[in-house]
Amino acid sequence: MIKKFFLVAVIFLFYTCSSSSDDSPEKKKEDSFDREAVLVNVADNIIIPALEDLSQKLVALKTNKDAFIATPDQTNLDALRSSWLSAYEVWQHVEMFNIGKAEEILYSFQMNIYPVSITDVEANIDSGSYDLTHVNNNDAVGFPAVDYLLYGVAADDAAILVKYEDVKYKNYLSDVVNQMDALTDEVINDWTTSYRDTFISSTSNTASSAYNKLVNDFIFYYEKGLRANKVGTPAGNFSANPLPDRVEAFYNNEVSKTLTLEALTAAENFFNGNAYNSSSTGESYVTHLKSLDNSALESLINTQFSGAREKINELENSFSNQINTDNTKMTQAYDALQLNVVSLKVDMLQAFNVSVDYVDADGD
Amino acid sequence: MKKVLIALTAFAGVCFTSCNSDDNDGGEIVINNPASYSFERDGVSTVNFGGQTTRIAMAEELVSALKDNTKTEEDLDGMFAHVEGESDFSEADLNASNKSIRSKTAASADFFSANTTDANAIKADFDGYIESQVADVFPNWAVTATAGNAGQLQEAGGGSIRYINAKGLELNQAFAKGLIGGLMVDQILNNYLSSSVLDAGDNRANNDGDVADKEGVSYTTMEHKWDEAYGYLYGAEDNAAVPVLGADSFLNKYLSRVEGDSDFAGIASTIFEAFKLGRAAIVAKDYDVRDKQVEIIRENISKVIGVRAAHYLQTGKTALGNDYAAAFHDLSEGFGFVYSLQFTRKPNTTEAYFSKTEVDAFVAQLMAGNGFWEVSSETLDAISDEIATEFGFTSAQAAD
Repeated sequence: MIKKFFLVAVIFLFYTCSSSSDDSPEKKKEDSFDREAVLVNVADNIIIPALEDLSQKLVALKTNKDAFIATPDQTNLDALRSSWLSAYEVWQHVEMFNIGKAEEILYSFQMNIYPVSITDVEANIDSGSYDLTHVNNNDAVGFPAVDYLLYGVAADDAAILVKYEDVKYKNYLSDVVNQMDALTDEVINDWTTSYRDTFISSTSNTASSAYNKLVNDFIFYYEKGLRANKVGTPAGNFSANPLPDRVEAFYNNEVSKTLTLEALTAAENFFNGNAYNSSSTGESYVTHLKSLDNSALESLINTQFSGAREKINELENSFSNQINTDNTKMTQAYDALQLNVVSLKVDMLQAFNVSVDYVDADGD
Repeated sequence: MKKVLIALTAFAGVCFTSCNSDDNDGGEIVINNPASYSFERDGVSTVNFGGQTTRIAMAEELVSALKDNTKTEEDLDGMFAHVEGESDFSEADLNASNKSIRSKTAASADFFSANTTDANAIKADFDGYIESQVADVFPNWAVTATAGNAGQLQEAGGGSIRYINAKGLELNQAFAKGLIGGLMVDQILNNYLSSSVLDAGDNRANNDGDVADKEGVSYTTMEHKWDEAYGYLYGAEDNAAVPVLGADSFLNKYLSRVEGDSDFAGIASTIFEAFKLGRAAIVAKDYDVRDKQVEIIRENISKVIGVRAAHYLQTGKTALGNDYAAAFHDLSEGFGFVYSLQFTRKPNTTEAYFSKTEVDAFVAQLMAGNGFWEVSSETLDAISDEIATEFGFTSAQAAD
């Protein structure tokens, strides 16, 4: 309400000012930009390569998981943890693309909902009977569940290894990892067999076109998945007190910064059209903005990405430690991330003449 | 919100003059319309709606308790039909009160004084929500719900857990949103703002003569009745003279939600101004102006119910298929607002925008078979469109 009122006031001011100078009517440049070129670059050089890399990392995770289950010792646990982190880093390049099959099966809801519900995980393990795809298990699967299973089920590594003498824990770990791999295959297969062509040709300016949905997915991810989930929520920006146990990879507790920086890199690369696997650069929101003679906004957004990176770099590797020792640095990182929410969601979408397709939940 | 109201009331804080040709003396009545809802006689406030504030507080506790699976049916019934002195609530003041929610549910003078049959059926609906919540939902608190089976369902992405009956309905939402109509809207529009209540007995003569309602109070009966209507909307506000909205979980909250939709912005000040001017008109003994405000309030409060009913049917429709718990939550709120439609009031008539028969037919469509588990988008659109058309807006306007 307050925001809307503010917006109305701003529009009113703008209107009042602009109507006084009617000798220089504003000429808006017509948007004849080739939107398909962006979709082709994004599909072929970003989304599909990132998914393929994720798939490879998950295959490695599966292999290490099988070895660990066969022989639950420290060596195998270390290898398994290492492959979990590698896959989790790549995941940061995939989560924002909630489109096509990923949207249909709520892929990200089955891969990275945190905080994990220990109650649900332990109940599933105990019963040995569960449907991991069921919506009630969204917070009992994926990377956060594996984080808990590899770092949080007991107080130290020796005790964790003891847990895996129990076949129920082996089974749950195995099922969760296999499920992550299967879901990822399902999403890739859809891209490579049919969805890519549907995607690249869906360029109209409508609420359901791939172009509009993609840009909305990107901004939604930046605002919610990156800014809020990784930084704002644990820093307490949406609650009475900080919530240090809400950080990503809480049980590992050393990589929340790594994952956040990776996610920021993914957002920057996507915005700039940088290929996932190489240093080449293609059509992107940057070229779209330039075609509209709006280089100023493009450079502002990139400057703000860099500013956010500087602030995040000042944080400890463990965000929960950071919150407990000096939460001001966390809120400063949040504030730096927030700048681009406005530039992307308001200024860039206005330049593209695209509507925002999501609203904040009404909270009741 | 606060800023908007203050700005508008600043404009309104001038004397309102009405030329009233019907008046016996043929003269001009000057209405002193204050900037805020504050009225005094000899330096003493004449505004009083403590009973409404109490009932809103009781309803808040009851609605919370409906989601506490340790409560018994007796506990919840006690909160619904409180008896003075019983320890039904956590607050001593509420326990000491002689007010009850149930006795004022479907209890307006205009709609139910000569229709106890419908009134009893409606009270039985609310009793039934409580009974079924305890008998069917509480025992399945930890069970995953499926079509035809009560239990819990979590919103996608690790969201809120919703506790639903076999048809996907959250009975606590049906109760809470139904109560907005059955208690607040009915009491405001069809009871306290009715001429049968405002002008009952010698109310006009006593108001004309500034005769106090009873010994020890500064207000006339008519003033008090008007304030009781006001209290059902603004009674939970910290400073009800200058409402900021969002102060309760009932009509006050949902007025702020409708105000927040740009298609309906301005409705909050329309309602507030009508309440204030009507009250000022009573002080000035100008009953024509008072009655005009009644019709403005009837139209706009009714619209709040219509907009939220259509809104939740639309948002629920969108979520169906990919996030059942979120969809069922919206549809359950929508269900309650649809139920509330029978308590709305078309201006200048004695009818609701939708009769009980029409509402019952909507409910039957929503609850057919396995209810929300299988309700179609077409059904939701049809009901939403019918509601929107009757009120003169569109489903699309209500959806955002």
